[in-house]
Amino acid sequence: MNSRERVFTHLAGGAVDRLPLMPITMMFAANRIGARYRDYCTDYRVLVEGQMRVAEDFGFDYVNTMSDPAREAADCGAAVEYFDNQPVALVEERALLADKSKLAGLKAPDPAAAPRMHNALKALELFKARLGREKVIEGWIEGPIAEGADLRGINTVMMDFFDDPAFVKDLFGFVVEMELRFALEQIKAGAEVMGIGDAAASLVSPEIYETFVWPYEKRLIEGIHAAGAKARLHICGNTRRLLKAMGTLGADIVDLDSLAPLDEARRQMGPDQVLLGNLNPVTVLRDGAPEDVTSVIGGCHGQAGARFIVGAGCEVPRDTPDANLRALTDYAHGHRP
Amino acid sequence: MPDLQQLYDAVVNGDYKAAHAITERALAEGADPLTLVNQYMVPAMDEVGRRFECSEYFVPELLISARAMKASLELIRPLLVARGDKPVGRVAIGTVKGDLHDIGKNLVASLLEGGGFEVIDLGVNVSPEKFIATIKESQANIVAMSALLTTTMPSMKTTIDALQQAGVRDQVKVLIGGAPITQKYADEIGADGYSESAVGAVALAKKAVAAPVA
Repeated sequence: MNSRERVFTHLAGGAVDRLPLMPITMMFAANRIGARYRDYCTDYRVLVEGQMRVAEDFGFDYVNTMSDPAREAADCGAAVEYFDNQPVALVEERALLADKSKLAGLKAPDPAAAPRMHNALKALELFKARLGREKVIEGWIEGPIAEGADLRGINTVMMDFFDDPAFVKDLFGFVVEMELRFALEQIKAGAEVMGIGDAAASLVSPEIYETFVWPYEKRLIEGIHAAGAKARLHICGNTRRLLKAMGTLGADIVDLDSLAPLDEARRQMGPDQVLLGNLNPVTVLRDGAPEDVTSVIGGCHGQAGARFIVGAGCEVPRDTPDANLRALTDYAHGHRP
Repeated sequence: MPDLQQLYDAVVNGDYKAAHAITERALAEGADPLTLVNQYMVPAMDEVGRRFECSEYFVPELLISARAMKASLELIRPLLVARGDKPVGRVAIGTVKGDLHDIGKNLVASLLEGGGFEVIDLGVNVSPEKFIATIKESQANIVAMSALLTTTMPSMKTTIDALQQAGVRDQVKVLIGGAPITQKYADEIGADGYSESAVGAVALAKKAVAAPVA
């Protein structure tokens, strides 16, 4: 059973030889190959090399194309800043949609022509050429509130929920159309799982989430499924109050940050939902000892039960000791679901 | 004189237009500005913080309450300054150099302001030199730094070292926070305090100004 077979069999509810292992790495992967993070974000060959190295060194079952949250916004024309050794960042004081009226004239970029989206498509093609059907190849898009915040400014969009709810719905509608188009191109290029990052969702109340965010996340997931891929939802931060709603989205994998207890997620989402996570990436994975990692991930597995994939709560920090990440690997490689 | 309970309600409910209007009327009719702050706005923001802490309020609610508070404070602050009233403390706050993330910093800044502090918000990507200049210019007694990224955390130490070299470290308490920050890290770099939550940061700042600087 190879990695790809293991993950898809597990998602389908079949028997597998061991727990799948799918932690998020970005800056850790760039460091692994001694690359500048700027190059990891902008040159697909660097990203692919970094992902391949980490997957090989630590026995991951997948690779992914995520590098920073600004990929789509940059292609829309948003002001972004590039740094040599950290992720590309949005410049909120010059947010693209600081003036709401600009939304009506905003055109979604063509993924085949827009530089940063195209770079992701090239990464997927290269992954496919190098990995074939050995490991899972995962693409990535931003979710409605994350991308909406990138375009409008996170502080502003948070107040838009009260000041102009109709605008928020128009904005998220635009985002979903753009992201689905990007997702479909990624699936054509080789992605079999699409990750959806919707970080800012953890900042809002369950009422706002269910009214404004959930319907658009649902549309993304349905679109991904219609194109034949699986969907992984990752929301950074504390999603404890959102768990029940998240569990009704139909995501194939719900990837939880460390602030959301897995036992609660299991109770709220039912026995069949595949959960991924979720040890604290800073205090346990980076700052703890290998035996801490083993103990905590064992606890996560115990809470989540058999429908579980091993991962950190969020991105593996770049300065995580090898021994700690290897402890995570050893747990996955040494345990059946 | 308007019913000042309405000012409290306007801040708690995030109604900035009402907060501004009630404050304007109250001041026009002779209300004491410090009374408005201490008896209505600070308790209102305390309540907002309490609701945020126990997940009755989330970031959108906190931000609209903060906006309401600011709409009122922009009328009150010049009057307090003119008559020489002192704030609880003066905080220079910013996201450290190289980091453009500000939502957490903004939450802390708003709650500090609601707690009676004067807040000098330096924004994002704030250099050590900017913190130093602000301390010298404004006589801030707290420096509050935020970082979201593990890659920008080291800027906190760089800033503390720069404060030391500039001879202003002893004039301020340095408080830090942000997703990758821990108490251990705060201890390692010589910060005076760390909080893992925005509400906790206000308590920390109050404690810091109550204690003499080193």
